[in-house]
Amino acid sequence: MNTAAIRALLLAAAIAAPFSTAQATGRLTCETVAPDKWLTEDALTKKLTADGWLVRFMKKDGGCWEVYGTTPEGQRVEAYFHPATGEKLLVGQRGKILFRAGEK
Amino acid sequence: MRFLNSKYALWLLLALPAVPMAAALTGSPRDPAGQPVTEMLLHPTGEFAARFMIVAMILSPLRQLFPRSGFLLWMMQRRRYFGIAAFAYALAHTALYIVDMGSAVSILGEFFILGIWTGWLAMAVMLPLAATSNEWAVRQLGRGWSALQRCVYPAALATLIHWIFVHNNLGPALAHFLPLAALETYRVWKHFTAPTIKRTAQ
Repeated sequence: MNTAAIRALLLAAAIAAPFSTAQATGRLTCETVAPDKWLTEDALTKKLTADGWLVRFMKKDGGCWEVYGTTPEGQRVEAYFHPATGEKLLVGQRGKILFRAGEK
Repeated sequence: MRFLNSKYALWLLLALPAVPMAAALTGSPRDPAGQPVTEMLLHPTGEFAARFMIVAMILSPLRQLFPRSGFLLWMMQRRRYFGIAAFAYALAHTALYIVDMGSAVSILGEFFILGIWTGWLAMAVMLPLAATSNEWAVRQLGRGWSALQRCVYPAALATLIHWIFVHNNLGPALAHFLPLAALETYRVWKHFTAPTIKRTAQ
C-alpha cells in the first residue's frame, strides 16, 4: 500500500469513528409490557425505599426501569427492574456487575 | 483565524463547552429528566477531558503524516493549552464526582473497582503534567520536561480503561480513542521502517 492510501485511510477512520456509535445502552432488555401495566415511578420508588434503597433518579431503558441510586448496603449503583413486577434484574456498580437475575 | 492567534481567544474557545455545564450547575439541582445535575455532568466533563487530551496527543503523528500543514504547526505551538484544558475538565469531572458521591466512605467504598481507580490514576498522572505546563517549568526541567510529559501515554491508557469499564460500554470510548491508536500505530510503524536504504531500480 502506498503512503497516500494509508494517509487517506487513516484520515477517513479518524473522521468517521466518532460518528459511528449508537446511543442505546443495550445493557439489558426486558420483556415487552403494556404501558398501563408499568409500575409508576412513585410505586417503584416506594417499593425500593421500603427495601432500604435510596432512589436518586430513574428512566426507561431497554423496556426496563433503570434506577440510579444507592443499595441498602450503601453502594452507588445503576440497577434494572422488571417494569411490571419490580423484580430486581441487574445491578451494576460503576460497571462492576453485583447482581444478575438467574445467576448465583 | 488571526483573532484566534491570541492565547486568550483560544482559552475562551476551549472554555466554551464549560458554559452550558456551568449554567446547568447554577440552575436547578436536577436536569429536565430528573437526574441530579452533578451526576448528569459527569459524562460531558469526562468526555471533554478525554477529547482535549486526544487532540494534544494526536498532533505529533498527524504532523508526520502532513509535515507541511500550517494548521498542524499552528496547533502544535498551542498544544500545551489543550493539555491544560484536558486537565481542567478532568478536574471538574473529579470534583463533580466527589460532590455527587457526597461522602468519603462511599468514595473509598468503590475505589478499587477497575472503572474507578483507573480514573483516579489518570487524574494523578495528569496533575504533574498540568503543573509543569508553563514556561518556567519548561526551563527548570530542561530535557526532563519532555520525558515527564510522555507520562501522558499511561494517563491516556488509564483514561481509556476508566471510560470502558465504568459503564461496561466499549463504543463511545473506542470511538474517541481509535483514531489516536491508529495514528500511534502509524507512528511506531514509521519509526521502524524509516531508515530504509534507497535502492535504484534494476
